[in-house]
Amino acid sequence: MKTLLTLNHHIRNKKKYKSATDLVIGIPKGLFYHEHSRLWEKFFENLGCKVIVSEDTNKEILNYGIKHCSNETCLPVKVFHGHVYSLKDKVDYIFIPRYTSVDKNEYTCPKFCGLPDMSLLNLKGSIRVLEVKLHIDKDINFTFESLKELAKNINVEYNNVVEAFKNAVDLFHKNEEEKLRDGLNQVNKSKKLAVSVLGHPYVIYDNYMSMRLIGKLKNKNIDVYTPMSLDRETKRRNAYPFQGKVFWGVGFENLGSAFTFAEDENINGIIYLSPFACGVDAFIVEFIERRFKTHYKVPFLKLTIDEHTGEAGFDTRIEAFLDMIGCD
Amino acid sequence: MKVTFPHMGNMYVPIKVLLETIGVDYVMPPFCNKKTVEYGVTHSPEFVCLPFKTMLGDFIHGIQNGADTILFCGGVGQCRLGYYGDLQSEILKSIGYKVEFISIDLTNMTVKEVMEKLKILTDGKSSSKVIKGIIYAVQTIFMVDKLYQLANYTRCREINKGYTDNVMKEFKNRVQNAKGYKGIKNEIILAKRMLKAIKIDRNSQPLKIAIVGEIYAATESYINLDIERKLGNMGVEVCNKLGVANWIMEHFIKNILPIKSKNMPHEAGKEFMRTDDIGGHGLETIGNAILSGKKEYDGVIHLYPFTCMPEIIAQSTFSEIQGKYNIPIITLILDEMTGEAGYVTRLEAFIDMLRMKRNFCKSSNQTETDAT
Repeated sequence: MKTLLTLNHHIRNKKKYKSATDLVIGIPKGLFYHEHSRLWEKFFENLGCKVIVSEDTNKEILNYGIKHCSNETCLPVKVFHGHVYSLKDKVDYIFIPRYTSVDKNEYTCPKFCGLPDMSLLNLKGSIRVLEVKLHIDKDINFTFESLKELAKNINVEYNNVVEAFKNAVDLFHKNEEEKLRDGLNQVNKSKKLAVSVLGHPYVIYDNYMSMRLIGKLKNKNIDVYTPMSLDRETKRRNAYPFQGKVFWGVGFENLGSAFTFAEDENINGIIYLSPFACGVDAFIVEFIERRFKTHYKVPFLKLTIDEHTGEAGFDTRIEAFLDMIGCD
Repeated sequence: MKVTFPHMGNMYVPIKVLLETIGVDYVMPPFCNKKTVEYGVTHSPEFVCLPFKTMLGDFIHGIQNGADTILFCGGVGQCRLGYYGDLQSEILKSIGYKVEFISIDLTNMTVKEVMEKLKILTDGKSSSKVIKGIIYAVQTIFMVDKLYQLANYTRCREINKGYTDNVMKEFKNRVQNAKGYKGIKNEIILAKRMLKAIKIDRNSQPLKIAIVGEIYAATESYINLDIERKLGNMGVEVCNKLGVANWIMEHFIKNILPIKSKNMPHEAGKEFMRTDDIGGHGLETIGNAILSGKKEYDGVIHLYPFTCMPEIIAQSTFSEIQGKYNIPIITLILDEMTGEAGYVTRLEAFIDMLRMKRNFCKSSNQTETDAT
């Protein structure tokens, strides 16, 4: 019996007659996209491919995701599946990288490690996937091996792919450095209230999932700070109790930011946005809450969201919190 | 100094042997019960997985009975188990207990490292005693696992129902009072003899079911509501793919051996996940489900605690595996709110379905042979 999967392997291994310049690559706007969009867009542009990014998350995309995922999957992964589904008829390949560890001593949530396979299986093999593997903590060569495979799939010479990748990485780092120079690491001393919004980047920067939380705060004339307003080293240095140890990358980001902002007198409150049943956040928020109780006085609000969250209830809680920290 | 440790299935037997041979004073927390879960849930984060909560409950039980050192394991990677120790010691500190945490790294376990970690325990003890303790403990775990496998074999075949359960209950009681390697070994041998004496129906062909999933949920009988016993008494032969012995073999013994052999389920799992590791037992779960299909098991039961991250990914492969390898798989998710009645209903429905499937296959085979 030939199942969809073997069929799909067959499709994957079939010789491609299109040249790379004709290829259309789809990048789903979820999970990794919010941090590394520039890197991957540039990478495929360097290869001469046309890149299509899926549209912003909306109700339709969420519904596709819910339909194709098991119940236990968390909201961001469901949304990601919706993005993949929305792209499937528009592109030749969908790009889903496999992040296992993005830096030394930093791992990702297991769902990132199985993401390409999970999407393929949940969408019953109706898509073709390109993947790049990142496992920096173990061996950097994994990345190059996966690039070799990618080169074979899109019929481009391996050296060109490596060149394009290196160029994109360089540009990505240059961008990051520029951002640092633009006055990062500082919380403005102004009469305005300042609130820090913490959480996974793919939750807080996704306007549909976060129900425009950052926009709503800004409309109330509040300065908003996120983990991205701090530089990498500061966050790693303050990530109690994991300084110098192994932990999830997103854990370092949020633990470090929470304690850095808590020490800053100009920050009036901290909001943590977490998807329902997030395994990583269960640990991170517990560390933050326990230490805040004993060491700091900053007000802290944890908001949990899933696909059933109503916006009115969500707003009420934010308003109550803002009243408490003295917003008119 | 008094040591305490968490429970995981029948792991307490080899740990008892280890600590008694070395001569360390210890407190064994009571077997996981309602109180343990209650203690754990009170102090744990809401969405943490169940093993975290029950283990924390074990520690609190141990500390209340005078323990001041905790023997535990840690590690690195994606699965939350690696970070249990850090959060648990933080929680214990904040509720006012002062304890020492000894955490053995599981990811790169070597003899030297284990010895170093155990140094606090073994201070002043002769090293020959320590080595003897480790060897005895490893031997014990294999014997205990064999005993439980034998019980699974006799339980579904016994003519007078309940004999196997009685023997195992007796064994569990007696092994707690037994002292040292020799005493425990004698108990195991005694129980084995009693199991072998049970009259069984040798001609019966019970349904064969494999248990896969997260190791704690699959081995801890209070958490999985005694699934092995329940299925056995329904007349089903259970093969638990996640024994502690298995785990020691993969993580400890194979690391020492000069010849590297491949972890079979792990390799098989790569058919659907093109990567080395998705954390925890994720790949093994997929691989074991595939292998059970190939070995003509009647069905697979997948167990995992609510919010377990690697198993959620593994679960997404099952619709493909069921079709490709023609094996029914049921996923049961466990947490502190799991109700026994609903759980048993689902098990019974699954078993009924497997029986019908078997009878259907048999009858369709028969008509085929009749036709020819």
